[in-house]
Amino acid sequence: MTKRKVLVVDDERGFTRMVKLNLEATGEYDVKIQNNPQDALRTAIEFHPDVILLDVIMPELEGPDVVYQFKNNDLLRDIPVIFITANITKEEVEAQEGYIGGHAFLAKPGTIEELIVCIEKQF
Amino acid sequence: MKSQFGKKLRVMLIENNPVDRKVILKMLNSSPYGSFTPHFALSLAEAYEVLSTAKFDVVLLDLNVDDSKGIETLTRLHRKFPHLPVVVNTGSYQDDLGLKAITKGAQDYLIKGMYKSYSLIKSLYYAVERKRAEEELKNAYKKLQQTQIQLIQAEKMNVIGGLASGVAHEVKNPLATILYGVEYLNSALKTTDEKINLTLDSIREATKSANTIIKGLLDFASLTNLKKAPEDINTLAEHSVNLTRPQCQRMNVKLDMKLSADLPLIKVDRNRIEQVIVDLIVNANYAMNDNGGTLTIRSHTKKFMDHDIGWVDRRGRSFAKGDEVVILDLEDTGPGIKEEYLIKIFDPFFTTRRAAGGVGLGLSIARTIINSHGGIISLHNKQGGGARARLIFKANKKGSL
Repeated sequence: MTKRKVLVVDDERGFTRMVKLNLEATGEYDVKIQNNPQDALRTAIEFHPDVILLDVIMPELEGPDVVYQFKNNDLLRDIPVIFITANITKEEVEAQEGYIGGHAFLAKPGTIEELIVCIEKQF
Repeated sequence: MKSQFGKKLRVMLIENNPVDRKVILKMLNSSPYGSFTPHFALSLAEAYEVLSTAKFDVVLLDLNVDDSKGIETLTRLHRKFPHLPVVVNTGSYQDDLGLKAITKGAQDYLIKGMYKSYSLIKSLYYAVERKRAEEELKNAYKKLQQTQIQLIQAEKMNVIGGLASGVAHEVKNPLATILYGVEYLNSALKTTDEKINLTLDSIREATKSANTIIKGLLDFASLTNLKKAPEDINTLAEHSVNLTRPQCQRMNVKLDMKLSADLPLIKVDRNRIEQVIVDLIVNANYAMNDNGGTLTIRSHTKKFMDHDIGWVDRRGRSFAKGDEVVILDLEDTGPGIKEEYLIKIFDPFFTTRRAAGGVGLGLSIARTIINSHGGIISLHNKQGGGARARLIFKANKKGSL
């Protein structure tokens, strides 16, 4: 079985490294990091991920702006996006059953198990 | 001749000297300047009895009566009836006694044998007016103080709110990295080395408790956005109990629900109020930790009286004496709260469980939540042991649902 390709776009370098280490340690995922949201579009076109993990508050370009770019691109339009953010709490996400405004949400901090469950729900 | 000073005054004359009584009565009755309904009492005890059943406008008080002597007579009367105007009528020439009487709450003083009818009457009417002005000033000052406290509180909330959401974002990001990092080490090392596992567990716990503090701060921040709806306090209490039942069982705490049926609804944000009730239940459980106990949860409705509250923060309350309120009491059978703790128990970061990981934000947040609903949260020790936490809310007006 081929590995799922995950693109993680977040300006927190430490965080993206930990996402990559953990997901790849399971043997199920191939993770690409992009810490500069302005390069997210280019990286996504090159890497063509199965799912995108996206921070909300980033300098220069915020998460929703990145999504807007993806939605305007024929190659990327249908790739599921998971917002992963410190802006909301786990309780708020659970109260909305994981989806806010049609997008999957994950609260920071959380566990790897929660992350994997959320990724797998997208397929 | 028509009365010069206006309305007829009901005067309580506390005087045990028969000669003085006669003189005073003659002055009051024969004067063209005012009109009076006088009533005599020979002692403070006798006066108290009459004053507590009938309304009087002013008291003329002899300091030496059957059951009390000196300035103490005034102090005792004033303590019992603080809103009643008093003119002290003393036979003493002692210079400072009259002035002392003024500082102890009298509106004027007269020295027996040194005044005529007009002075007495003027003094009585002036005392009534002076007292009214004093009370007005006092009330205005009190209101000003309350408004000031509310303004400071509102400003504080704004600052904390802004700060909290900023800090929350900046701190939660590194916490997320730490947690994922620990998880990676945990699965990558898969070690049986106890020291390494203990280290990883400690990091994980520390991260989680830092996250709890951040959550507490966010709770403050989000209080500006309450979703209020008419709710039944009993439903909220029952739901909170269901959430905490496992803990109660584990800690050997028996639950005794005494909820009154047909209570008026209250207008609250149910999640917030449940958060407070859950917190109070958890606190009660910890208070009874040593040997278990019983937690009684009681609800009822009544007309609010000031003695309904114990150690309390009165800020922001939306009801007055006589208003219909809904009360929820949580009573434990623990050792009660130490007197020296009562005064600071609602302060942020005050905890008696620091060593056990207590942060000290629970009651502080509870108070902020209840205050932002115009309610009151109070804590007192019950006679015969145990503590009682009390939540008071204004009943929602009928027909406004």
